[in-house]
Amino acid sequence: MAEFEGCPGSRMADFRGKDEGGGDAPAGKVASQLRQWPIQMHLISPMAPYYQGADVLLSADCVAYAFGGFHPEFLSAKGGSTSGGKGKAIGIACPKLDEGQDVYVEKIKSWIEDAKINTLTVLIMQVPCCMGLLQLAKQAAESAKRKVPIKYIVVGVQGEILKEEWV
Amino acid sequence: MQEYLNKGIKEVIKQFPPVADILNEYDIGCVPCSVGTCLLKDIVQIHNLSPEHEQSLMAKISRVISPGQEIPAQAEQPARKEKPETEIKEIKYSPPVKKLVEEHVLIKCWIALIPAVIKNMNLESPEGRQLIMDGVDFIRSYADKYHHAKEEDILFKYFDANLDIIKVMYEDHETGRAHVRAIVEGVNKKDKKSVAEHLLAYQELLTGHIKKEDEILYPWLDRQLTTTQIGEMFAKFNETDLKFGQAPKKYEEFVNKIATDYSD
Repeated sequence: MAEFEGCPGSRMADFRGKDEGGGDAPAGKVASQLRQWPIQMHLISPMAPYYQGADVLLSADCVAYAFGGFHPEFLSAKGGSTSGGKGKAIGIACPKLDEGQDVYVEKIKSWIEDAKINTLTVLIMQVPCCMGLLQLAKQAAESAKRKVPIKYIVVGVQGEILKEEWV
Repeated sequence: MQEYLNKGIKEVIKQFPPVADILNEYDIGCVPCSVGTCLLKDIVQIHNLSPEHEQSLMAKISRVISPGQEIPAQAEQPARKEKPETEIKEIKYSPPVKKLVEEHVLIKCWIALIPAVIKNMNLESPEGRQLIMDGVDFIRSYADKYHHAKEEDILFKYFDANLDIIKVMYEDHETGRAHVRAIVEGVNKKDKKSVAEHLLAYQELLTGHIKKEDEILYPWLDRQLTTTQIGEMFAKFNETDLKFGQAPKKYEEFVNKIATDYSD
């Protein structure tokens, strides 16, 4: 049994057997709350109309798969305590695997300065490398002349919200 | 017990005095509150107790109000004061609310200087009177127009003005303004005793007021606001800051100067 188990971001975990019936989750289809396309940070234009004055989500790729209620909770106008308000615009990225992340910093800065977004919520996984996405957002915000409130939410690998805090 | 959940806390304490000690035990400072119309059920929610502590608190209150019909406490929890130090969490505010908390720091600096100002007060000289009037200007311009205006014109507008906790804050602001008017009147009449009395009353009022806001009201309001509202409020606060320009800086320098002048 090796003491070193490798990168927490790629360490194997098996959740089979955990509440396979779905627990209290509602049955049936969940309507998409996505209000835009594209969503990947290399593809989006920060000046697209849906970013203007919006509450924007910058989400790590994996969050949408780990967090069961991603659309109703984070994207919807009628979302829970973590969302609320008028619905969110989104950009997604992987701070571990994506290349050319300098472009992301510039696009986030442009959201703040040019699109005059209302707030930025950074959604990341609990794995350490995901913190890189928050760092990108902070770097962009520090270089921007305009300031906006930034919140980050850490989601566990089994879909639980571990932390929610304003920066 | 049920009927008392919808009664004002002062009324409950008046009828059942031991409830005051129970609230104190949980660091719920309703006892010295000047208004005390918050409902018992709201107080529990506003103070954001853990479900275990809420149940424990209500069980203790129930024992006083309705002996024999107590709410069962599954596992009696010690009050906050008895909790291990490690469980006390730092309060995290949203960015706009954090601004308000930061503004409190300068106000607290000024009110902490009030005893020294009173000790050195000389209303017979124009300079001595001017010093008190400069303090009044700080209260009126920084604490009231700049800071309280953000609260009254922006933050509180997101909530029902009839909420008891908001009414208490408005009432504190008004009481503070009345003390300031009395200070000015005292300066004009060169009535040292009156000026000192109202300065001290203002100090006492604002000390309690700021503590209530920092520890109870703001965290509670923060929990009610949506992300969108936080963003809007942040933008409105920035507009207010722009409108006031360098004035807050001027008042920071004023308080620092008084602090330096009266440092031993």
